[in-house]
Amino acid sequence: MAARDVLNSIKKRFDTIIQRADVPADNRLYLYVQLEMIKEVCRYVFRDLDARYVISIGMDDRQNSNRFLVAHDFSFDRENVLASIMVQLPATQPRVDCISDVVPAANWAEREMRDLLGIESVGCPNPKRLILPDGWPDGVHPLRKDVPWNYVPPDFDENKEYRFDEAPEGCTVVPFGPFHPTLDEPAHFRLYVEGEIVRGCEYRGFMVHRGIEKLADSVLTYNEIPMLAERICGICGCVHSVAYIQAVEQAATIKPTPRAEFIRTIMLELERLHSHLLWVGLASHILGFDTLFMQSWRIREPIMWIAEKLTGNRKTYSLCVVGGVRWDITTEMKKELQGVLDTLETEWIKVANAVKGDRNIKARTKGVGIADQDLVKEAGLIGPLARASGVPIDCRRDLPYAAYDRVDFNVIVEDGCDVWSRVLVRVREVFESIRIIHQCLEKMPEGPIQLKINDELPPGRIGLSSVEAPRGESHHFVVTGENNRPDRWRVRAPTYQNLQGIPAMIKDQQLADMTISLGSIDPCFSCTDRMEMVDIRSGKIQVYSQEELLQLVRQGNDTGTKKKCS
Amino acid sequence: MQLNIAAIILGAINVALALVLAPLFEGILRKITARIQSRQGPPLLQPYFDLLKLLGKEDIESGHSPRMQRFAALLSLATVLTVAVQVPMGGHAPLGGQSDVILLIYLLTLSGISTLLAALAAGSTYSLVGMSREMMAMMTLEPLLAVAIVIGAVHTSTLRLDQVLNGSVYASGLFPVAGLIMLGIILFALQAFIGRMPFDTAEAETEIMEGPVMEYSGPKLALFKYARMVKLFVFSALFIALFIPWGHTGFYPLDVIIFLAKVTVLVLLVTLIAATHARYRIDQAIRYYASLFGLAFVALVFAVSGF
Amino acid sequence: MSLLSKIKEVIICLNAGRVTLPYPFAAKPVPERFRGRPIFNPQKCIGCAGCANNCPAREILVFDPCQEVRIIKYIGRRCTYCGRCADVCPEGAITMSGEFENATGDIHDIQQNLEIFMGTCQRCGRCYTGQGPLEALMMKGYRSDNLDKDAWVYSSQAYLDKEPVVEDIDLELD
Repeated sequence: MAARDVLNSIKKRFDTIIQRADVPADNRLYLYVQLEMIKEVCRYVFRDLDARYVISIGMDDRQNSNRFLVAHDFSFDRENVLASIMVQLPATQPRVDCISDVVPAANWAEREMRDLLGIESVGCPNPKRLILPDGWPDGVHPLRKDVPWNYVPPDFDENKEYRFDEAPEGCTVVPFGPFHPTLDEPAHFRLYVEGEIVRGCEYRGFMVHRGIEKLADSVLTYNEIPMLAERICGICGCVHSVAYIQAVEQAATIKPTPRAEFIRTIMLELERLHSHLLWVGLASHILGFDTLFMQSWRIREPIMWIAEKLTGNRKTYSLCVVGGVRWDITTEMKKELQGVLDTLETEWIKVANAVKGDRNIKARTKGVGIADQDLVKEAGLIGPLARASGVPIDCRRDLPYAAYDRVDFNVIVEDGCDVWSRVLVRVREVFESIRIIHQCLEKMPEGPIQLKINDELPPGRIGLSSVEAPRGESHHFVVTGENNRPDRWRVRAPTYQNLQGIPAMIKDQQLADMTISLGSIDPCFSCTDRMEMVDIRSGKIQVYSQEELLQLVRQGNDTGTKKKCS
Repeated sequence: MQLNIAAIILGAINVALALVLAPLFEGILRKITARIQSRQGPPLLQPYFDLLKLLGKEDIESGHSPRMQRFAALLSLATVLTVAVQVPMGGHAPLGGQSDVILLIYLLTLSGISTLLAALAAGSTYSLVGMSREMMAMMTLEPLLAVAIVIGAVHTSTLRLDQVLNGSVYASGLFPVAGLIMLGIILFALQAFIGRMPFDTAEAETEIMEGPVMEYSGPKLALFKYARMVKLFVFSALFIALFIPWGHTGFYPLDVIIFLAKVTVLVLLVTLIAATHARYRIDQAIRYYASLFGLAFVALVFAVSGF
Repeated sequence: MSLLSKIKEVIICLNAGRVTLPYPFAAKPVPERFRGRPIFNPQKCIGCAGCANNCPAREILVFDPCQEVRIIKYIGRRCTYCGRCADVCPEGAITMSGEFENATGDIHDIQQNLEIFMGTCQRCGRCYTGQGPLEALMMKGYRSDNLDKDAWVYSSQAYLDKEPVVEDIDLELD
């Protein structure tokens, strides 16, 4: 049993400090360790056992166990195990050792725990606000159970500004976002530019928070949450709804019907197809090559039509319920889907051949946005970004879910580490997805698409689920609760990790390459910013007031000094 | 100073042609681009509507010095129209012996400077980035045009514009090596002169939010857009006057029609290249122009030695 | 060679021809399973309020002004067209129509009001069960001896005040 092997290797070093270990399945491990030793355990797991860092999660468990809970999720890709290492913190003044110095990828997760739950990370290298807007009052932590979901703090300070770091010597500040033609969603990258070379960058984001995790805790029920989950992202919605449902099913030890698993796989791969084709279009648009943009979207359109025929909507499939799916694939639809895939494959082969020989595109993308293997390990990068740097991680193969263990596919890996490699990875993954869907359509068994659930779901159980979104691994953590709703739901979208690698990727590159480097990670800011409280009526969540934003753009920086080297 | 009536009328017709027809050529460019992209595209007359719409919008003056912004906007259109007056469109150059090559080169440089002034006057970070790119491009591009015109001057041994243009790069019937090299070079650099893909780095929409013209709205933006459209027309006219002078019948209206047909073919070529290329980065573009300039220098040496 | 790639690209484009439809002058028909605006059929509705219970956006409100009448109101403002109401309705009274052109200046165009005459069991009130424990109806049954307490059986805090008004059921939205 792979999970037991992992447990044993951790026990060899840390036997006495493990308080409790649960191995509910062959591929899951839940460890409770002593509070003081969490940093050492994480260091051992990350460095010596070479696990991949996934996310850190905080939870307010005061009404059940009178504690706060902090979980650090790691993935042992080679052993096919997802593990969660947990500590319990006292209810008053929750403090835990910061692990960002041993696991650099944990930086954002710890700042988020601090902002939203008030869990103090002792020794955190960068204790700035991440999620909450600057005007939010201190001491009010939205994800705590005593703060209602529609709370508007009366002392919200609209004019408080974010304190950026000092610009390095000799650099101009170029503000990138929140309004920029390349960005689909608002985010702010403060670039420090010397001439045309970017020397550094600071990110301020989370401007489109929507209170999704809080709504799931307090308002919605198990079968209503997938409708919310699929709206986390406008491109990879199905991934989030499937990941959530799988986490709940795992927590409650429910096995969905086999036909439902195949249907989920098919819809996930359809989503990957449409996402990669969309990305090729977007990347070309960023490079100024609008013709390829239009053509790849034209080729993508039949996928949207077939999705509408199958599920009723082009994008928000509303697919999952606990124990199954809502839409079946009839024989006519199967034939039609196969026809669409064949046309798509023929057209895409032509486009792929044309693009591979195009020196104009290669000149703009080769050697740009380099992310080497060390950065992938330190920052926990995933998805096509990692696979283009030679790191072969893919949740479909490493942590199999749905029907992926029953189909055959290749994991596409390139080793150029630059934007051109990412283009190649995504172009080739389209063909793999088509292969998977054909196999699923052949192997899909007859049977019901929904399970009849006769009992309420048991509270207090933990479920973890990792699904390979088009952008990388999407990881969900669910703790079941009372009242037909989860006690905690944590969403870790792939862009959350990939964005943390951006400052290193754009350093010492040209300013013109910034946009394509950012575009090459396929950023989905909606996936990243999915937590905060927004009251629709006041609409008061904004980082800059309008005058400040205009001023920033016009003057170039707000410290009054501007040395331009060109 | 002999400005006869014929010259004035010819000049006025040139300006009228430029003003009236430039948006139409822009419309053709947009429509063909759309068809290549499998789209329907805007109506052919859409640029006229765009300009009219912009003229009616509110003119928000934001930036370091609004007066300089106004001046830059007017200068951009004024310079290209002045060039239009001098370039022969189907007949003789209107100003005849009054203008010379140096003036033409100067005016073309001035139109580039108007963009620089525009960016400086706006003063926002992205405008300044666009300005630095435009400056780098100008420094390597203007010499190319200058060399083309100077080769013509060398072959006709005069600086008078009417004699240098009108196909004198071929020096009346002969086909000198220098002229052919220059034809090739200017053809390759035409996209850069008129600022279209793959060389529209200075106004890269998705990277620096339109660069120099970022802070302009309403009527001033209309002037800049108009200047860009007229630039397409005027540079095509210049190219035709230098390198494709044949087909003169002597009957003025027919000459104009033939001229416009040639311009349409050139615009189609520009569109095709623009629709099928991605934008080059500024350093890649500069390297490209610099290599072209190396070749142009070789052509100049040929011209001076009599080939 | 780069020129060859460009030529290949142009050939792909020109082969495709024009693919855009001049919508709204030419309509594209919706497929069979399309999830448009839900249509409520008062003839079939039994007033169980399962739709209201399972609407993720809380767009279906239920109000019992008196023992005999239950008002079910579909507001439609935040409706996400997910179709859960149609899924859980035991009588099939809700159909997801093919209407997607729902933009209007007057919210009353989309709202649907159902007034259902109800019977009541004096021992258990009105008790309904959902399809399964996950669709459990989280509402109190109605009994005539606690009219004030159970006047609002389901409400969404986004729209309504704490103190419901019994006579006036014409909701004013922000």
